[in-house]
Amino acid sequence: MAKKPATSAPALLPHEEPLPPRVDLYVAAAFLALGIAIIALAAQMPTFYERLQQIYTAPGLVPALHGAIIALLAVWLALRAVARGAFKPGPGGTKERREGYSNVRLGVAALLCLVYAGGMVSRMPFWLATTLFVFAFIVLFEWRERAPWAERAKPLAAAAAVAAGTAVGVMLVFERLFLVRLP
Amino acid sequence: MLESLGQFGGAFATLLSGTAVLNVFWAMLLGIVIGALPGLTATMGVALMTTLTFTMTHNQAIMVLICIYVGAIYGGSRSAILLNIPGTPASACSTLDGYPLARQGLAGRAMGISTSGSWLGTLFGTLCVATLTPILGEVALKFQSYEFFWIAVFGIVIAGTLSGGDALKGYIAGFLGLWIGTIGQEQYYNYPRFAFGSTDLSGGIGLLPALVGCFGMSEVLLAMRAPAAKAVSSAIDSVIPRIRDVLQYWRTILRSGAIGTFIGILPGIGEDVAAWSSYAAARRASKEREKFGKGSVEGLMSAETGESACVPGAIIPVLTLAIPGSAPAAVLMAAMFIHDINPGPMLMVNTPEFFYQIVAMLVIADMAKLFYGFFLVRPLLKILLVPRERLMPIVFVLCVIGAYAITSRVFDIYVMVFFGFVGLALRELKFPMPPLILGLVLGELLENNLTRGLVLSDGSIAPFFTRPVSGALAFITAATIVWSIPGAQEWVRGTLRRALGRASPSAP
Repeated sequence: MAKKPATSAPALLPHEEPLPPRVDLYVAAAFLALGIAIIALAAQMPTFYERLQQIYTAPGLVPALHGAIIALLAVWLALRAVARGAFKPGPGGTKERREGYSNVRLGVAALLCLVYAGGMVSRMPFWLATTLFVFAFIVLFEWRERAPWAERAKPLAAAAAVAAGTAVGVMLVFERLFLVRLP
Repeated sequence: MLESLGQFGGAFATLLSGTAVLNVFWAMLLGIVIGALPGLTATMGVALMTTLTFTMTHNQAIMVLICIYVGAIYGGSRSAILLNIPGTPASACSTLDGYPLARQGLAGRAMGISTSGSWLGTLFGTLCVATLTPILGEVALKFQSYEFFWIAVFGIVIAGTLSGGDALKGYIAGFLGLWIGTIGQEQYYNYPRFAFGSTDLSGGIGLLPALVGCFGMSEVLLAMRAPAAKAVSSAIDSVIPRIRDVLQYWRTILRSGAIGTFIGILPGIGEDVAAWSSYAAARRASKEREKFGKGSVEGLMSAETGESACVPGAIIPVLTLAIPGSAPAAVLMAAMFIHDINPGPMLMVNTPEFFYQIVAMLVIADMAKLFYGFFLVRPLLKILLVPRERLMPIVFVLCVIGAYAITSRVFDIYVMVFFGFVGLALRELKFPMPPLILGLVLGELLENNLTRGLVLSDGSIAPFFTRPVSGALAFITAATIVWSIPGAQEWVRGTLRRALGRASPSAP
């Protein structure tokens, strides 16, 4: 029913490409460990049998069931990965790079988001944290290394304007107009 | 009949009074823009805008969120047609014929087809909401804990099987979501599970922060990794839909509307599967099969009608069973709970007026969509070209606010960030997201009904299998799992072929 018809579909994006079976094997091992850990932790929970004289409401019962199913599915994933050649030597060479995709950009964006949400928000006024974050984000991603300083002035001013506009706009819309509390 | 019409009239009057019309127009505009911008999805839009609706009355809040949902699914086709990049996953199918039409200089006509298909699809789905919800609600009233337990399990399994990609990983994601839902104090003894002494974790994982993380932050990061989008052309022909296109393909519209609504009703699957399934069915039935993928009007019409009919379809199980039909519907359901509306079988008994209001909301949203379909073409082209370097930090700021605003806990911001990275990692490892979200949403329903059922039967699991409806649901769930195993599919097909061959020996 949900099969995509074989027409001239756009090329697969990096996150749509199939994973090597060996990676699936590692993923299966991680989920097996998680499933077993859930069962172990659930087994340590009290049953409260003395209160209602039955164990069906024990806090650990349902999580243990989920843990057991996760572990079973992980075993299934591991067996499938082995059947698909997880232990066979893989093709040599490095993976072909996709044009336009950049893990460096991903890493920088992740770091900026982490610093903003984990280190700046709630430790300084929200408007200041937001202005600094948006400004830093735009400047870092629009930075042109070889451009002369005179050419950089305009994008820097635009970044500052977007950053300040975002902070003011968010404060006005959320705090004043919709009465939402901000961090 | 007359009483129902009166109720609908009352619902329209309630919803269209005062500033409500203004709310409809800004929410629809925002929804279309969110959908059109690559990297922003309907789920993210509904999750972020839930924050804005806290102080509104419940019907105004839900109307705003429905407008965002309907608008975002429709808006996704704009970037699919003009950029060859689906604005939302649901509009990936529209790139197949929408972009070739735009390259032929028919971008306006493609958008007209998209507008008419989407409008008719939502209208068809809304008609199904109006007619099917009371019937299904009546049936759901007869369900007990055993049936609700199986509905929750079936939801996870069907979402894992059909939400795209690897079914096995879909099941793992679903049960991971169910387990995450058990973190924090449980209902019988208030025992803090998996809290490790943390007061914050004892309060549980908030659904909205987790959703904003999975669909907001992780999408911001993925958008920053992807290459920048470029528009195919800024010259657009007339966007007014042609009556001939609609009349010529009325069968396709009806078929796609029915498929989209049906897929919407199935738990957790969503608009992308609805669009692909409608497209595949239209291609099979078409007399112009060779045009599909090269700029087929029928192909684009089927995809747009299917995905838009799925939106009202996904709301039907929310209203009748408290089980979402798609990821954005899951957030919509969470918003209903925040606004003290209890969707589920008792909705039609306790607050029947809300059902009529939902139908009215869908009709109003559909009309607003038609209005913007005619008038929001050239301005949207400019918005589409906003560099993501300037857009994504603003989206992340909204993610932070969205996570914090519900309970004013800084901990929820950390939860959002954590789920942002979890969502990113799971996507990279090819785990589909809808089952995870469905697991988070259905965790409580599954646990409550499993424990209640076991208490009622004094520990016997027999009623879970011997009651007619729960037995049938158990069988369908097991069959769905077996069907997802490639070897099992081949075995069933071979057995059927052999059996049919024996039954009709005279066949050539």
